[in-house]
Amino acid sequence: MDLTFSFFNFVFLLGIFTVVVITIFLFQYRHLRRSLWIREQEMTRRMYQLSILRELGERIGYSLKIEKIVEVIVGSLRRLLDYSTVAYMLVATNAEGKTRITFNINLEKPVHKKFIENVKGSMLVSLNALLSSKFSTDDIDETVSGTITDPTSEEAVGSFFNVPIVIAGAPTGLLNIAATEKGLYHGKEVEILYTIMNQASDAVSKLEVVLRIEKGKLNSMVSSMADGVLMIDNQKQLIVINPRAKEMLGLTKERVAIFDILDALANQIDLRTKLEESLVADKVIVVPPFNLNAIFLQVLISPVKDDANNLLGEVVIFHDITKEKELEKMREDFTSMMVHELRSPLTGIRSIAGLLATPTVKSDDKKYQEFISLISSNSADMLGLVNDLLDVAKLEAGKFQILKKQSDIKTVVEQRVASFKTLAEQNSLTLASKIDASVPAVFEFDEHKIAQVLNNFISNAIKFTVAGGNITVSAFLLPAGKDLAKSVVERSLVWPGIKSGVSWPADQVIVATTDTGSGIPTDKLGKLFNKFVQLESSARSEKKGTGLGLVISKGIVEAHRGTIGVFSEEGEGTTFYIALPLS
Amino acid sequence: MENLNPKKILVVEDEPSILKAVVEVLGMHGYQVFSATDGEHGLALASEVKPDLVLLDLILPGKNGFEVLKELKSTVGLSDIPVIISSNLGDEEEVQQGLKLGAADYLIKADYDLDEVVKIVAKNLKPA
Repeated sequence: MDLTFSFFNFVFLLGIFTVVVITIFLFQYRHLRRSLWIREQEMTRRMYQLSILRELGERIGYSLKIEKIVEVIVGSLRRLLDYSTVAYMLVATNAEGKTRITFNINLEKPVHKKFIENVKGSMLVSLNALLSSKFSTDDIDETVSGTITDPTSEEAVGSFFNVPIVIAGAPTGLLNIAATEKGLYHGKEVEILYTIMNQASDAVSKLEVVLRIEKGKLNSMVSSMADGVLMIDNQKQLIVINPRAKEMLGLTKERVAIFDILDALANQIDLRTKLEESLVADKVIVVPPFNLNAIFLQVLISPVKDDANNLLGEVVIFHDITKEKELEKMREDFTSMMVHELRSPLTGIRSIAGLLATPTVKSDDKKYQEFISLISSNSADMLGLVNDLLDVAKLEAGKFQILKKQSDIKTVVEQRVASFKTLAEQNSLTLASKIDASVPAVFEFDEHKIAQVLNNFISNAIKFTVAGGNITVSAFLLPAGKDLAKSVVERSLVWPGIKSGVSWPADQVIVATTDTGSGIPTDKLGKLFNKFVQLESSARSEKKGTGLGLVISKGIVEAHRGTIGVFSEEGEGTTFYIALPLS
Repeated sequence: MENLNPKKILVVEDEPSILKAVVEVLGMHGYQVFSATDGEHGLALASEVKPDLVLLDLILPGKNGFEVLKELKSTVGLSDIPVIISSNLGDEEEVQQGLKLGAADYLIKADYDLDEVVKIVAKNLKPA
């Protein structure tokens, strides 16, 4: 009995158990299926997002136009959603500077014309709200695409949602999905589209920034280039010209055509032929330098190709080599000076020495002595020049040294004046010194080097002043901040051509040599202390000497942290001065 | 040995020692030598003494050698005088320019040799 009971009980319990298990199983299964279905949905959405983003990535390479990107999204929307129409509105400024709205609606299903008007109307309201603007339907350029309109279909919009289009943080438009059916869209759909739109906008924004920076870099590089640059396209039309190129070619108008450039160069080079030459040769060609508008130009012409070796056009670079040419000329002049100043006396020495050996000269004691003294003075001249050149070389190498010690400038000036007295008298010139009581008894300077400067000033003054003229060496103290010109006038000194506006922040001892010579033209004043210019003019000058004296003097004065300067008035005279700081 | 009718040579040269040497050596060879240290004086002297030959330096103070040469060649009575240019530039172009302007011959001072000077003067003097 017990057993039977047990068996029935067992079967019964088993039955219940089975039912429970099956029920549980069925229940679990349904639950599982549902979650699977949700996950599948999720996967579909993600796949869609991914595919759109990938497509965007690919297309973005070709175009940065937001319209195109919106169209990509619109084009693949049907994979995700059920809808009747998809539309976008974008705000943009057209070529005439007017702000217009592009409205593009794509009909997935036939809808009534009124439906389109409704979508447009509601989008405009939202757009105005989004942008705080007041656009009207007159501002809209409309495009309808997709299937046909159907006068029998539903007029009213059943359900819809808008997604804003934001580029670089600024809303620029709206995307709209609309359907005739009611209650079609929920949070999920809206959210996905938001995400996609955001990511797309983000990508575009970033790319636009990169593009703008790159473009800006390129533009500023080209426009700030010291070289003139221009580029022509395949059709030989000018596409880019930088300000420097226009300046070099003497073109002043805003819009320049290729013909203006050909004309500007017509007297120097046939640019058209050169462009062709470069194309045919398929390499950079360098046009021999020529002079245009007082500048020396070197022109390089090169074909420009893209990665695929397609010809894009040609670029022309104008390189200003005026400085190099000037330097080249200076070097040539330097050589001819060396030839003139060193070889001439050397040739003389050799010739004279040769004659010393001849019986005629040997037997003539007076002539013999004369020749010996010629050799001596010629070699002294050469030694002087070699010393000058060495000094300049030291100056340039920064190895020029001065030895400052407490010295008396009054004595230095008076000694120099005394030593030139005879030479001045021989040239019928009056040489005098005018030392002001304000000059300190002693201060620190290198008396030998400053004496060298004065030697140079005085000998120059004697050389360039005609008989009957005066040379004055003056010295005075110029207090800090006091105008030099004012001080000169106060001391009854006359410095022809002196200009006001020269002063120093510390007390200076001024030592100057003023002559009543022919004066120096204003345009030459600035070049007096330039090594090469001095050498060049000396090679052609009727006066002896290399003109290096002033270059060396400048070096000496600057080594004292002082200033060297010149004032001159043509026909009146010249003053060379030095200002030595007291502290 | 004393020449009673010596040929007259005008030397225009701004380097005193060279001038001295050339004057001396030409004098030794029996020429009557006149000298000037710049172009202006050279031209004046040429008009005055009508030399048989001019030895002319190219780099001169004031009027340079080319200008002097041009003036000599365009002055009646002086245009036939042979001119020997002496350039210490050693520049082929300068020499060519001198010859074009009518110089009879040239000397390059780099290889200046007094014997050479005497030879070139003798060569270019017109036979009496």
